[in-house]
Amino acid sequence: MSATARYMFAVARDLDVAQLSGARGFQGAALETVEHEGLAAVVCDVDLAEFGEEPLIRNLEDLDWVEHVARTHNDVVWRVAAVSTCAPLRLVTVCADDESVRDKVDSLRSGLEGVLDRIEGRQEWSVKVLVAPRSGGEPSPDTPATSGADYLRRKREASDRRRDLSVDAMRIAREVHDLAHAHAVASRRLAPQDPRLTGRPEAMVLNGAYLVEADARDAFEAAVHAAGEQHPAVTVEVEGPWPAYSFAVLE
Amino acid sequence: MTEDPRGRLRQRIDSDPDSVARDLFKLVLSIVELVRQLMEAQALRRVDEGDLSDAQVEDLGLGLQRLEEAMEDLKSRYGLTTADLNLDLGPLGTLLSDDQ
Amino acid sequence: MSDIDLHATATGLQPTGAGQVSLVDLLDRLLGTGVVLSGEVLISLAGVDLVEIRLNALLTSVRADMARHEGAAP
Repeated sequence: MSATARYMFAVARDLDVAQLSGARGFQGAALETVEHEGLAAVVCDVDLAEFGEEPLIRNLEDLDWVEHVARTHNDVVWRVAAVSTCAPLRLVTVCADDESVRDKVDSLRSGLEGVLDRIEGRQEWSVKVLVAPRSGGEPSPDTPATSGADYLRRKREASDRRRDLSVDAMRIAREVHDLAHAHAVASRRLAPQDPRLTGRPEAMVLNGAYLVEADARDAFEAAVHAAGEQHPAVTVEVEGPWPAYSFAVLE
Repeated sequence: MTEDPRGRLRQRIDSDPDSVARDLFKLVLSIVELVRQLMEAQALRRVDEGDLSDAQVEDLGLGLQRLEEAMEDLKSRYGLTTADLNLDLGPLGTLLSDDQ
Repeated sequence: MSDIDLHATATGLQPTGAGQVSLVDLLDRLLGTGVVLSGEVLISLAGVDLVEIRLNALLTSVRADMARHEGAAP
């Protein structure tokens, strides 16, 4: 019989446990709750051979494993957030048993109530602003430079074009962020995502997370989409509603 | 018990002996491309400063043009694009300017 | 409508939404620091690490050289 531990997904308020019936965590383990002082920690059993300290060091190097864990974690958080006010935990929070789960909730307690108050009735929206990649080389095959001086002149013009585009993109990003922020109760600018991670060639000039009142969502979406239409030089992407990760994730 | 895997996502050059040549080539070309771009930017600055004669500007331009052509030839030998040569230096951003 | 449907409507979260979030977005939010590609290049052969090149050091010295030449009188 292999040793097990408790994987913590989230801490929720006003969760009706019956809503989670039939829901699964890892390896088909049932989702359970550990009640503590009016809050419910959502957990499931996991095998220490996979989630213990040593195995974790190995497994976290395996992006396929990380992806599987992240997706399962997200599916659970999503389901809990749909039926309660839910503060997600960061990926891979593992406790030895229910007693240490309660200790964990205690250690989070001072920030927890404030976090839950902040996100109740609100969801997160993601707004990204992207710029199409500038063409690498200048058009050369048809019209090669006629002289050394001409070559330099073309390089200078290309450099100026890139700089102007860059300045414009940053300005538009600022405008879109300010607008989205005005329709939200809180916002966070996350680091732009590296194209090699997104798999997309566009440069990201804004990666914003916005906490929006549920009944303000239509106004938020309309305002941000309108801003996108006013700036055809960039692409504005709005995604949501999502659980309030960026405003509620607990250490 | 949360883990930070940032240090584990590393760019590794392939350890297969058959591809060592290609990977080392890619590494060397990346550095050469960096130097080429720095030289190009430096040349534009010098031209802006206006202290070069017409002949010097012409020679500079021709030299850089030859260099760019040579780089294109080298890249094509291994089917590499400029994007392939862009290595990540963490807090310093990418090796080559994002604009290129 | 079941209780789950009612509440889901109230919070607005679509049941199918979870799968549409990109992995990078998830990791950015669920990991402490987001996903960052390290700046080290490790060359290994047959599993043996041979050379660890710190490219940031190289970059610094190249730029320092250029700065020195800039300062020299033409």
